[in-house]
This record gives sequence, C-alpha cells and structure tokens, in this order.
Amino acid sequence: MARTFRYFEKKRRHRRTISRTLVIVGEILFFTVFLLGGIGGLVLLYFTVVVPQWQANTEFVAHRCTVLDKRIGEKESDEGTLYRPEIQVEYTINEERFVVWTYDIWTFDPTGGYSSGKEEKERILEGFHQSVTYPCWYDPQDFTRVVLVRNSRWWLGVLFILPIAFILIGSARLIYLLFSVGKSAERRSAFVQKAANLATFDTPTKPNSEYPAIPGGLTLIDSPGTTLTYRLPISSTPNWIMGSIVVASLIWNGIVAWLMVIAIRGHLRGEHDWSLTLFALSFAVAGGVLIVYAVRHAMVTTGIGPTFLEISEQPLRPGREYRLFVSQTGRLRLRRFDISLVCEEEATFRHGTDTRKESCRVSEHPVFERDDFEVLRGEPFEVHCDLRLPEDVMHSFKSAHNEINWRFVVRGTVSGWPDFERSFPVLVYPHENGNGEA
Amino acid sequence: MSGPRIVLRLDEDGRVYQPGDTLGGQYRMMSIERDDIKALELSVLWYTEGKGDEDMGVHHFQRLSTEDGDWIDPRRPGTFHTVLPKSPMSYDGRIVKVRWCIRVRVFLKRGREVVGQRLFRLGNVPKASGRKTPPSPVVEQDAET
Repeated sequence: MARTFRYFEKKRRHRRTISRTLVIVGEILFFTVFLLGGIGGLVLLYFTVVVPQWQANTEFVAHRCTVLDKRIGEKESDEGTLYRPEIQVEYTINEERFVVWTYDIWTFDPTGGYSSGKEEKERILEGFHQSVTYPCWYDPQDFTRVVLVRNSRWWLGVLFILPIAFILIGSARLIYLLFSVGKSAERRSAFVQKAANLATFDTPTKPNSEYPAIPGGLTLIDSPGTTLTYRLPISSTPNWIMGSIVVASLIWNGIVAWLMVIAIRGHLRGEHDWSLTLFALSFAVAGGVLIVYAVRHAMVTTGIGPTFLEISEQPLRPGREYRLFVSQTGRLRLRRFDISLVCEEEATFRHGTDTRKESCRVSEHPVFERDDFEVLRGEPFEVHCDLRLPEDVMHSFKSAHNEINWRFVVRGTVSGWPDFERSFPVLVYPHENGNGEA
Repeated sequence: MSGPRIVLRLDEDGRVYQPGDTLGGQYRMMSIERDDIKALELSVLWYTEGKGDEDMGVHHFQRLSTEDGDWIDPRRPGTFHTVLPKSPMSYDGRIVKVRWCIRVRVFLKRGREVVGQRLFRLGNVPKASGRKTPPSPVVEQDAET
C-alpha cells in the first residue's frame, strides 16, 4: 500500500527533493513566527513609544512646580557613557507634597531616555534655576509622574520599520502558502501566469505575450544605430566593472595597509606579533593580485577604445540573413580580432542553502575574423559583414531558473596589452511564420 | 490487478507538432470509481529538466470539480483540443532541457492523487551538440568602401 505522506519525493540525479507538504508546513511555521514576532514588536513599540508620549502630551494635567536641584544622569553602555538631564522638583497636589527627579516623559521610560552628548544636556539644565517655579504636567493616574517638558520624539517612528517589515513579509508569504495548500503545481502555475499577463506595465525582461518564455528585450531595441537599424547594448559597462574592481582593490589594500602598520609598529617596539604579520602578509598577497587585476582591467578599459556593434534587424530568426557593422576605436595593433555569435545555457539551482549558477556554451558561430592590422587614433576600424543564422537553432529562452541566451562576442588579441572580450546580447525568436520546421 | 491509472492518447501519435498546430487526444481513467473522484485537472504544459531547478509554464489548463457540480465519469474517455503556442520549442540541451507534455491529474478522496502524463515534441530543434560550427558564409566589406 502506498504511503500517503513521504518525507522525500523523487530523486533528481544526485539531489533528492524533500516532500512538498513538509516544506509547506515548515514554511508556514517559520513565517507564522515571523508574523507573530512582527506583531509583538509593533505592540511593544506602541506601548513603550507612542502611548507614553501621547499621555504626556494630551492627558497630563497642567500644574506648577519648584526646582530644588539639578544634575546630569549618567549610564554606561557599549557605545560609551550616555547622559540625560535630571531636575528635582517639588509640587503639591491635594495638599500632598511630592519631590521627584524628572525632565520629560522618557525619564520614566525603562530605558531611561539616555543619549550621547553631555553638552546638550548641560545647556538644558542651564535653562532651569533652583528655587524658581516652572510650569509642569502631572499624570492624573499617578501623581509621582510629572514632566517639565512635553515633547515628541517622532524620529523614534523609524523603529516601526522593522516590525512592519516582519508583518508584511510574514503575512504575504503566509497568504501565498495558504493559497498553495491543496493546489497542484499546474494550477498554481496557471494562476501565476494569468496574474502576470494581467500586469499592464512592461519590463525589459517581461516575456512577449505572443512568444511565451522568450524575453521581451525592450532594452535591446531602444538604441538606434548610426549605420544600421539598431546599436546593440554591451552586456556590462566596462567603466562600471573597472570602478567596482578599483573600489574593491582600494578597500582591500586599505585593510592590508592598516594591518601592516600595526604589525610593523609592534616590531619596532620590540613586540613581535608573528601571527599578525603572517596574516597581514597573506592579505597583502591577495591585495597584490587585486592590484594587478585592476591595472590590467584599467588598461583594457582605458587603453582599448570602445567597441560598437550595430545590426540591421532584431530579433534574429533562424535561417535569416543579417548585416552587422562593427567599429573598434583606440590606438592599437591587433594580432587578432574576431566576432562570433554564441548560444549559452544557464541554469540556476539550489545546493543546500546556496543558490548556484552554471552556464554552458552550446554553439558558437564565427561571424568575422581578421589577423594583424592596426587601428589608428581618430580612425576607428570599421567593417560591415553579413551573417546567416542557421535554420535549426534554439531560440532565446528564459524561465525562473533556466535560460538560453544568445550574444555576439567580440574578442581581440592586442600586441603588448591584455586580451579583451566584449559581449552584446541579442534575441533569437523562432521562425516568423510560426513553423518550427527546419 | 493494476492500481488506478490514467491512459493518454494523442490523435496523431508520434508526430512532431509545430506552433499553431492543434493538439488533440483522449484520456481514460482506469480502475477508478466515480464516487472516489473529487476533481480532475488537464494541463498542456512545458517544463524544464537538467541542472537548474525545474520551471513550468502552463499553456492550457482545465479543471473539473464535483464540488462545483461538474460531472466526471471515469467510464467515458475525456477529450481535449488546444492550439499550440509559438514558443518555447522542445529542446534537448546540455544543462537545460525543455519538455512539452499533456498531464491529467485526478484528485481522489482521502488526499490521494493519480497522475497520467504523455510527452510530445513542439518544433524540430535538434539536440545541442556543444560544438563550434564551421564558419558560415561571411561577406566582409570595409565600411569606407
């Protein structure tokens, strides 16, 4: 007899998928705790932040009190010493005399209303003089609670962001999970697709409704060319990559320099910390590699001019011919320069708690190649070439975890410089007549 | 005696379908009692296989539920017809594969389910070879000329 509940479901190669029911139950428990934590935090904040301020500002009764003494209250914390103003006042209610240390409502807060900045608190105390009578407000429910200042710390509202985020994330996920319970994968998928199709806004990656699972590619056709119809966008801006590498190199080597200074100072004082020295040196080796990589990338980005690629038509279709225009600027002697159209598969998968991505080049179609020529400053190398996409190729494809991407790859081998490679994504659609036959 | 199962048959069995073609066929429920059936779902869908986590896209979905008053008779074969979309094509790549299938899922009492599935091909995209193709005819022309 088949079991009605299984901890593990089918095994996919070396990966075993855990029971979906078990996953849903676990997720429901996790996000219920998430939601309850958010609600609890919100309630706690409401009663400790909102209610005391509101009571002091609206319910406390106006009165007068005499200042007897004043001082700066201090409290030690991880961030150093914190301070608050404390003023001893005397007042009488219903012929009963009260003597209380106070300032504002936060004096009665469990955390004490302490903050950094002693001078600011001293300036507050300077505004109050002994034996002088000032207006005050007392709590009609508890005469010992009195304030000299009624204020609102609205910036404490920032604290509410965290529990509200917990509530939103927890409730959204719980709604989704409860919707998923008892529904087949096909029904959920059909519902999600229906909802996605109802979305009125277009995003660059939103699939074309006529061609499901093919990216819309709005960004690929929004740049007109100067020679041909479209200028193809480069897959990643070299300047942006270079900036990131330089910043990473600076941060890393800054840490290395700081560690080295500490280690060298120790040696100069005769306190030899060899473990720190070795640690700093190993960091320095990685820092050196980063510098070499940054310099190499900077040479390619700044020394080798930009590459422009234009195409007569987009998206591409199997069996059709296209005209391509390439322009390479800079001042270089190219030992080899080639362009190819490549197709790559990309798969995203979870491995334990990690999300991993793997890609694989499945086809490469040479488009243009030339050896040994020179590009002069102000005279870019420009060439037109024709290409024919083979009849039987797979079209571009994109789903949540799997992709098939097409791109032109421009590669150059330059004398005395590092080699460079630049990518220009394109879209490949199935045959225009809707016939997938070769 | 075999347990409950679903048998699917395509009108033009074994053929490769093209975008815009009509996919039609029948399904039969075997060894399933009518009183046991709560609902039936028929889907024409694609799903991915390979290295990545599985994705799915449902092209055609139909649900019959006895709770909604639908009549589901396991003694009579059910039929289906749908016009196939322009994409994605069936594909047998190296780490990404796209499969098309017709799937019938019957929900029985006490939380049991019976699933029947039949694969078919959409389009004629050949298996990915992973090899560099020989240079295609290239006409080169300097821009200045």
